[in-house]
Amino acid sequence: MNRSSQSPARFAAALGLLMCSMAVAAAAAPKPKTHTVTIDGTRFQTADLSVARGDIVVWVNQDPFPHTVTSKAGGFDSQTIDAGKSWKYTAVKRGEFPYVCNFHPMMSGTLRVK
Amino acid sequence: MKLSVFVLAGSLLLPAAGAFAQGINDAQIAAIVVTANQVDIDAGKLAKATSKNAEVTKFAQLMITDHTGVNKSATDLVTKLKVTPEDNPTAQSLKDGGEKNVTALKALKGAAFDKAYVDHEVAYHQAVLDAVDKTLIPGASNADLKALLVKVRPAFVAHLEHAKHLQSMMSK
Repeated sequence: MNRSSQSPARFAAALGLLMCSMAVAAAAAPKPKTHTVTIDGTRFQTADLSVARGDIVVWVNQDPFPHTVTSKAGGFDSQTIDAGKSWKYTAVKRGEFPYVCNFHPMMSGTLRVK
Repeated sequence: MKLSVFVLAGSLLLPAAGAFAQGINDAQIAAIVVTANQVDIDAGKLAKATSKNAEVTKFAQLMITDHTGVNKSATDLVTKLKVTPEDNPTAQSLKDGGEKNVTALKALKGAAFDKAYVDHEVAYHQAVLDAVDKTLIPGASNADLKALLVKVRPAFVAHLEHAKHLQSMMSK
């Protein structure tokens, strides 16, 4: 058999296999979800949130004054989130992260990353 | 000192009882809310400029920031509702009491200043919370005004707890 006549067929087969495997990989890795925690009335709502690793969490400050989202163990810290603003965090690290508002320490929540 | 400060702050809101027995309107509530916040902003500005205690100045800045934010919300709302704040005995008492407090604080320095400021903040937030619960929220007719009062109430509780924490630290 002529080698040069086989090459295009082999290439096409390899390309097909590669595309299939990419499709399988894409199906196996679910698209990250976006979760919203509202900051309203000096409270985090939902205060206890479980997410998958890679998901995005957005804290939206609906109060008329600033807050922070600060992990007690140092996992994340939004710094100041002004009134009407939001802060986005990609949950890259698995674990349980209790957090507070640095300005109003009685405000607390927990982010669980599975 | 602590008792007299508490009595002074409590008495700021006493005229409310008589005035509100006949009912209170949203324009009067708006005036009380704006005045109550402004009184605490003014005290906070003095404390921030006077105190050398980092915890006290941090608290004072929080009072300035939060009460300024609440006042902006309140002002935006009454503008939207086309309500003109209406002066009343309670708002006037709050204003007079705030001015007396600032005058008294200006005569103090150092730890004496810090203690008097924090003692007053504890009593003042307790008195304001009582008024919010017993008079302002029940008396508000407009749903948005009532909702704003309910929304900001927990921040006043947080301020009270913060001030009490400072007070207990200072007494050690």
